[in-house]
Amino acid sequence: MSDPKNHSAEAALAALKELQHEIQESVLDSIEAVDEYRIRFLSRKQGQITALLKRIPEVANEHKKHFGQEINAAKALVEARIESATVQFSAGEESSGPVPDLTLPGRVAAKGSLHPITQALRLITRVFESYGFEVAEGPEIEDDWHNFSALNFPPDHPARDMQDTFFIEAPSHVHSGILLRTHTSPVQIRVMENKKPPIRVIVPGRVYRNEAISYKSYCLFHQVEGLYIDEGVTMANLKQIIHAFARTMFGENVKMRFRPSFFPFTEPSAEVDIWWEDANLPDGGRWMEIMGCGMVDPNVLEGLGIDSEKYTGYAFGMGIERISMLRFGIEDIRILYENDVRFLEQFS
Amino acid sequence: MIISTNWLSDYINHGLSANELADQLTMCGLEVESVEKLGSTFEGVVVGLVESKRPHPNADRLSVCMVNVGAELPLQIVCGASNVAPGQHVAVATIGTTLQLPTREDPSVTAPVVMKQAKIRGEESSGMICASDELGLGGDHSGIMVLDETAAVGTSFVAYLSARGSSLSDCAIDISITPNRPDAISHLGIARDVAALTGAAVVRPSVDIPSVGGAASEQVKISIEAPELCSRYTGVLVKNVVIQESPEWMKQRLTTIGLRPRNIIVDITNFVMYECGQPLHAFDFDQVAGGQIIVKATKGLTTFTTLDSKERELPSGTLMICDGEREVAIAGIMGGENSEVTDKTTNVLIESAYFDPSSIRRTSKALQLQTDASYRFERGIDAKGQAWAALRAAQLMVELAGGELVHGMVDNHPVPHVSRTVKVRASRVGKIVGVEIAPDEMVRLVKAIGFEVRELSSEPKEWEVTVPSFRPDVEREIDVIEEIARLYGFDNIPEPSHSRVPNFIPSVSNTRLQRERIRDVLAGSGFRETYTNSMLPSSTSEAFNSSSLPAGRFKGEVVLTLNPITTEMSTLRPSMLPGMLKVVGHNQNHGQTALRLFEFGRVHSKKKTNLSLVGDYTEIESLILISSGNWSAQGWYGEGREVDLFDLKGTIELVLSAVGLSNIRFIDSKPDPLFSFGVDVLSGKRWIGTIARVSNSATKPYDIRSSTLMAELDWTAISDMTASQSQVRYEAISRFPVVERDLAVLIGRDQAVGPILETITRAGQPLLKAVQVFDLYEGKGIDPSKKSVAFGLRFGSDRTLRDNDVDRAVSKVLKALEGDFDAQLR
Repeated sequence: MSDPKNHSAEAALAALKELQHEIQESVLDSIEAVDEYRIRFLSRKQGQITALLKRIPEVANEHKKHFGQEINAAKALVEARIESATVQFSAGEESSGPVPDLTLPGRVAAKGSLHPITQALRLITRVFESYGFEVAEGPEIEDDWHNFSALNFPPDHPARDMQDTFFIEAPSHVHSGILLRTHTSPVQIRVMENKKPPIRVIVPGRVYRNEAISYKSYCLFHQVEGLYIDEGVTMANLKQIIHAFARTMFGENVKMRFRPSFFPFTEPSAEVDIWWEDANLPDGGRWMEIMGCGMVDPNVLEGLGIDSEKYTGYAFGMGIERISMLRFGIEDIRILYENDVRFLEQFS
Repeated sequence: MIISTNWLSDYINHGLSANELADQLTMCGLEVESVEKLGSTFEGVVVGLVESKRPHPNADRLSVCMVNVGAELPLQIVCGASNVAPGQHVAVATIGTTLQLPTREDPSVTAPVVMKQAKIRGEESSGMICASDELGLGGDHSGIMVLDETAAVGTSFVAYLSARGSSLSDCAIDISITPNRPDAISHLGIARDVAALTGAAVVRPSVDIPSVGGAASEQVKISIEAPELCSRYTGVLVKNVVIQESPEWMKQRLTTIGLRPRNIIVDITNFVMYECGQPLHAFDFDQVAGGQIIVKATKGLTTFTTLDSKERELPSGTLMICDGEREVAIAGIMGGENSEVTDKTTNVLIESAYFDPSSIRRTSKALQLQTDASYRFERGIDAKGQAWAALRAAQLMVELAGGELVHGMVDNHPVPHVSRTVKVRASRVGKIVGVEIAPDEMVRLVKAIGFEVRELSSEPKEWEVTVPSFRPDVEREIDVIEEIARLYGFDNIPEPSHSRVPNFIPSVSNTRLQRERIRDVLAGSGFRETYTNSMLPSSTSEAFNSSSLPAGRFKGEVVLTLNPITTEMSTLRPSMLPGMLKVVGHNQNHGQTALRLFEFGRVHSKKKTNLSLVGDYTEIESLILISSGNWSAQGWYGEGREVDLFDLKGTIELVLSAVGLSNIRFIDSKPDPLFSFGVDVLSGKRWIGTIARVSNSATKPYDIRSSTLMAELDWTAISDMTASQSQVRYEAISRFPVVERDLAVLIGRDQAVGPILETITRAGQPLLKAVQVFDLYEGKGIDPSKKSVAFGLRFGSDRTLRDNDVDRAVSKVLKALEGDFDAQLR
């Protein structure tokens, strides 16, 4: 009755059953415990599962399959427990020592920030880029030709008084002279010198005005100008793009008005005001000028060899300081150039 | 320019309130900057008669007056004005009256004050004897206002004023006049636009204009030697005037618009200028030698004393008015002291001329003297308005100053005005403005402002428009289109519902994208962005025009401005460093000790280079980083650490890698007094910037108390090298493992590590992928003349590296180190 192989298989299965409990319940709470566990069951020389595997040939053929499955399942379980415990320990020294005081502040990292002028400029640029404008730049030291004459400022004309100018070299003859640009419009001329319509560009940059420094004016500021030259461009198009801009900067319901003005390089020319709510004022607010604009004067186009009968265009220009002061509620322009960290950190 | 609403009402009955008027003017291109209400209803102010005056017993400057105000008993009033005297008719603010009085804190601001029964230094006072400014009538506070003797005692002051043509209240509207609107620098000019906007008619005072010649032409001779600078000179003679104060109504008008009344003759010339825009000059005719006026330009430098008693140097070519013997006025700018109207003047020659705008502007600029007259002449006055203005003034002198008009007039007119015509196409209006305006409407709009229109063609609609003489700015079709658009109203131009975008591909500027990216990288690395002034004192610019810094490397001069605001801002910066040091000093003084700052900006050099766009100037973009004080903060985890050069070096490496610039090298900078030590940054052989510790002598003037490191990069050069980089192509990642080897070598103690890294990189090719320095040691255990440097080397290839491949590469490196630096494996 007793086939020694059957007997051997029964004994092996019984031995395996005995191990099951320990395989499942052994506490694996440290790397050492995991090592011990692995050696106990899987080590080549002393491992108990390894020993059982070696006993497979002793088992009767009809039991071999069942025994083999059982022992392999036990082995897989051991491996899985080792795997999960190892992952747990390798993720950190979780168990070594007490948990630190987590209420201590974090290690201080230095905080940086972008200047409010940069932030305003980015916002402005993004609006116009989304309407298909390119961005161009040009020099701060300019010649009279690009800054004035090519923009239809006649020599000895009061229009030149509209922009108090820092001169670098006195003019030796008409259209000569070198100066600090008073606006970024000369870059428009430089763009048109090098490019044929359609031209759709904005020009950001630093400009200089020889004005007394006060809370509302500084010897320099930053401008963004825009230019669009193409067939069929009208003032209606100009109004639309400016309105789109104003809504982005000052809200969907911004109240805006265009009123006639004068710039030598545009005709008709306009200034754009937005209604600035201020409960302290008798009218509940006031009109604030945000930019100048107009249709590019035919003299400017013809001077650059652009057929003013075929092409029309608009141009606009605004002060970034003015826009950022409105947006951020800054009342004194000088604080923008003082760079006090207590000011800068508010724009992080 | 300020206009008075009362004065404007003399010429047009527009029916608008002051605010409505201001709004309409603004929206037609005459921007109103402020509307100021003047005067008051004067309720409670009555005419009084000063019956007696005695000194105040307790105050030297005060007197106690008894004033009859038509009541049963006279009022006792304490008065501080020295000019008060018995027998005077005065304006008395009785108890309960509210007056707008200047505040004590700021006399230019007024606040309402109610008159109360008061005791002043022990004397009862029942009201106030008023000065004209206390009544809101402007100006003079030197004493009380003395009224006409005919004023009925006890009647209201309002009645007194209106009986004399003055108004109770007025509005001063300040209009900012653009240079293209010389026609609008007068009340009649403004009235013209108001008429066009409202449809009301302009009524111009009627003036009899005599024929040229007559007695006047026998007494006055006018010759014009420079007809290109003076196309017309009209003279009218008024004799036997009595110099006196102007009547109240005229003084009030002039005061409202911000002029100080002087005497009747001067006031009349100002009044007429502000009425019609034609500047006038009144000569004391008895001071005009030979009754002769000669208009000519000076030859050579001339000195001349103007009527403000200032001696002025006139450049050659200045247009002057001369009499038979000498200069008597600077044409169109200011008269001379030698011929001005004085209290003794009896005979007046009125000058009304047209001077060339450019010439007047040049003279006014050269003399730095702008007057009401030059302001108008340089913009271009009405070329046909001279005779009317001269006779209008003469008529007022007859009426108000008792003068007698000498029959006839002199009108020297060498260059007659020719009316300009402009062809205008209706279709072009639509093309510019973007809205269909009916042709009839266009005609109506331009006719309303004095243009004449003649149809040239009905299909397509075209006109010949004749420009009135007072609009010298209108020369072309586009100028007429602007007038149409302005009067049509910009607000009436509809916005299209869709945006027009041309079918072209906007080019993207890599330069700008890169700059924006680096801004973010730096802000993310704890740096704060600054914007500093580009203008510096020249001594600062000279000191920082160093050949160690990007712009200074051009070895040019500092760029000077010819007309600085102050010497503190007379040059353009050759470096952003001084501006940054100022910011560091400012912040340290305000308790900020750990600073990391950066800025992108232009720096300048006076030097012709291949980068020069304008003249002999080179302008490049610079990126500056500065750090002072602690780099890392002290905390519970450890001590803070002061910034050192390697902090900035690491940041610069980060920046340069972010723009994809490779082959970066650092070499010791040559000594510079601005720096304690530093390194030049190179890409290959090209210099791109410097990193350095700012010397104590350089930081001292900025009151900086901690160690300060800076880096300034030639961003133009960096952009130039990187902005045109071709698009990145993905390179397959090696599937084969890397092999790491550490190498510690002994080298001479003074040997720099940088060159060793370069040698290792070169000698390790092609298998060496990266090298880093992980340890530096000198001291115990090694030869005191040596130091140990440990390098981590990382090898890789597109195949599995065998040990002997790597061994060969390492020994090649070692051999090179041995050869170049006498290095020994440790």
